[in-house]
Amino acid sequence: MFLLVGCASTTISLQEVREFADASAKLGGYGELSNRFRGTYAREQPYLSPAADLLARETDVKRRAVYDDFVSVQRTVVLYMQTLSLLAGDARYDLSAQIDELGNGLKANAESGLEQRHVAAYTGLTRLLTRVIASGYQGRSVETMVRDGDADLQTLIDGMLTLTRLYAKTNENEKKTVLGMFDIEIPFSKKAQDRMLVTLAKVHYMSKSSEYRLLDRRYDLAQQGLIKVSQGHKKLRENLANLSGLEIRSALAKFASDLRMIHNAMNDKPI
Amino acid sequence: MQAQQQGLSNVAQVEALADQLSACADAIHARVMKDIARHGDAPMSDKEQALARALLEDEMLLRQRANGLYADAASIVVKALNRPQQHVMELTAAAAEKIRKIALLGDVTGLVAGLLLLGGAAATGQVAPILLALKKISDQLKAVELHRAKPAG
Repeated sequence: MFLLVGCASTTISLQEVREFADASAKLGGYGELSNRFRGTYAREQPYLSPAADLLARETDVKRRAVYDDFVSVQRTVVLYMQTLSLLAGDARYDLSAQIDELGNGLKANAESGLEQRHVAAYTGLTRLLTRVIASGYQGRSVETMVRDGDADLQTLIDGMLTLTRLYAKTNENEKKTVLGMFDIEIPFSKKAQDRMLVTLAKVHYMSKSSEYRLLDRRYDLAQQGLIKVSQGHKKLRENLANLSGLEIRSALAKFASDLRMIHNAMNDKPI
Repeated sequence: MQAQQQGLSNVAQVEALADQLSACADAIHARVMKDIARHGDAPMSDKEQALARALLEDEMLLRQRANGLYADAASIVVKALNRPQQHVMELTAAAAEKIRKIALLGDVTGLVAGLLLLGGAAATGQVAPILLALKKISDQLKAVELHRAKPAG
């Protein structure tokens, strides 16, 4: 009977899977950058010529039309990761604790005159539960999800990477549109009465260029994060048969800690 | 998959075209900046200034064209993601169902805990509630066995 306790605690730990899934579910930056992509027109509008404004408005409509889809792709990946985390969750440890309790309770009751057939029923039940736990129902569920989900998940992450790249390129053109006019008009404004305007323009230019410089880093971090999620899930997929192996566990722990670092770096410098 | 790849190759083409337009805009800008730098502190004539502004306008239009194409590419990307997204959602729903079942296993042990309390009552001769609880447990066990027979997925 007391062997049961030992049995229950030898189950495979999915802690690293859970940590990786939790860190992946945060997917830092993508949502915010999607949002920024959608808002491009509002930011660049004051700098546009009438002809450019016409084109910009058409593009604005396109960007707004697909924004919901960007968000929903992200939501799908986040939900998948949150579910994977739950599936790899510590509900199993709750079970083990209850098994322990069961053993103790049984002992107490065996002394208090419980009929033999009741004891037999308890014993049978405990054995079965132990078997259920040892058979790794949760482990198998994690396996199924990761195995069946990997290909499509990789496609989604790949799509998000492409989108993030398109966001970054759009942002680059926005930056050059906003700053471009000053590159030319500041040197043209050499008259004494232009001095105040030129000063204001230079201050504005400095603040805008530093805003865009910080953003460049965020596009970069968002892409790094997506790549880590993709690589981590691939690694998990390749090692499903041996999730308790030291190598896969430390690899997943590394992916999770890299993702947390990326996430922290993003939170350091909000827009 | 075919349609998906088709979509993705379109993305690459549209994006490449937009990249070229952006590069042209960069080249125009560089050219104007070079003209300005060559003048140094000497003022530019009105005609030269007008030319520089006209080029800046062209640059701006090219950037708008490029950004329009980037938006087109983004639309193609998300359209190609429809199917895989659907599949991942289904898998997630299936996994959520499994989590529910695992919670059910938890319920079984919960019942056992209740039963143990009743076991205390049994010591005082109240066997009937125990038998009732045992019946409940055996029902739960059948459910558990059912899940074991059809292992995850």
